[in-house]
Amino acid sequence: MNQQTSNTAQDLSPAGTFALVFGVAFAILYVICDMAALPLFTYHPGTGRIDPGFARARIDEGPAMYWYGWIASSTLGALLAGGLATLLPAKLRARIPSALAWLIPIVLLPVLVYSLKFYWRWE
Amino acid sequence: MDFLLDYISVNTFWTILLMGHALLSVALLGAITHQAAAVFAPTRTGVNPGFVSHFRSVSGPRYATAVCVLWIIAFILGGWIYAKYRIYVRIPMEQEGFWKTQGAFELKEHLTTIGLGLLPFYWHLWKNARHAAFEQARKWLTVVLAVICWYAFLAGHVVNNVRGFGL
Repeated sequence: MNQQTSNTAQDLSPAGTFALVFGVAFAILYVICDMAALPLFTYHPGTGRIDPGFARARIDEGPAMYWYGWIASSTLGALLAGGLATLLPAKLRARIPSALAWLIPIVLLPVLVYSLKFYWRWE
Repeated sequence: MDFLLDYISVNTFWTILLMGHALLSVALLGAITHQAAAVFAPTRTGVNPGFVSHFRSVSGPRYATAVCVLWIIAFILGGWIYAKYRIYVRIPMEQEGFWKTQGAFELKEHLTTIGLGLLPFYWHLWKNARHAAFEQARKWLTVVLAVICWYAFLAGHVVNNVRGFGL
């Protein structure tokens, strides 16, 4: 594979490397936060209450929402990962395949479908 | 936003938000489908310029910023409506037993969130569209985002059909 058709981050600027690693890390961390129940905060839409971390729904206060908290958790982690990636030597950054950007969502799709197995029922 | 409720009802307010979310999604769907068609099946020279050729002969880089902006605004509006959905739409759907519809909608939220995180790299790839080394990444990331967008649009449409406007 010559340099023109190479699919690595070898010619990515630090901003491009940050964007690539941020996107990939965000996707992976988001799925982890979802499956391991790791929101940065919990929002209770019925009352507008916000609790730090994971909090169960309170009696007579409606449901609890974790989606916003998952996004916050994965954003922080991805910012850190992207920032660290820009500090890597150019030689190491060159080995990060840009194909990860579209491969990771495809790989994560069955994991996400499995994480929603509660909903795939016939009744 | 409370001052708005002096002039319109709460239901009208949320319906306007939902309509705005839907219209932005349609615009996004059109933009990213054109771009995906252009990058996935580029126009061949010498081909009779029919509808399909015109559809896919757009300049991909010109769409990148619009796609990012539309995705972000549609996502923010969707995220805002989501809190209302959680109480006034999802709970009645649970009571009616629309489990698979809910699952499809949850998957939509997951996929659009992952798509959101990939937008910076997508934008970077299109802003450096002359860089041949990233042609494959640019092509397939655009196609993946287009597929996510189509799925999100259809799943949202189905949920809207189940519950309808007026929340």
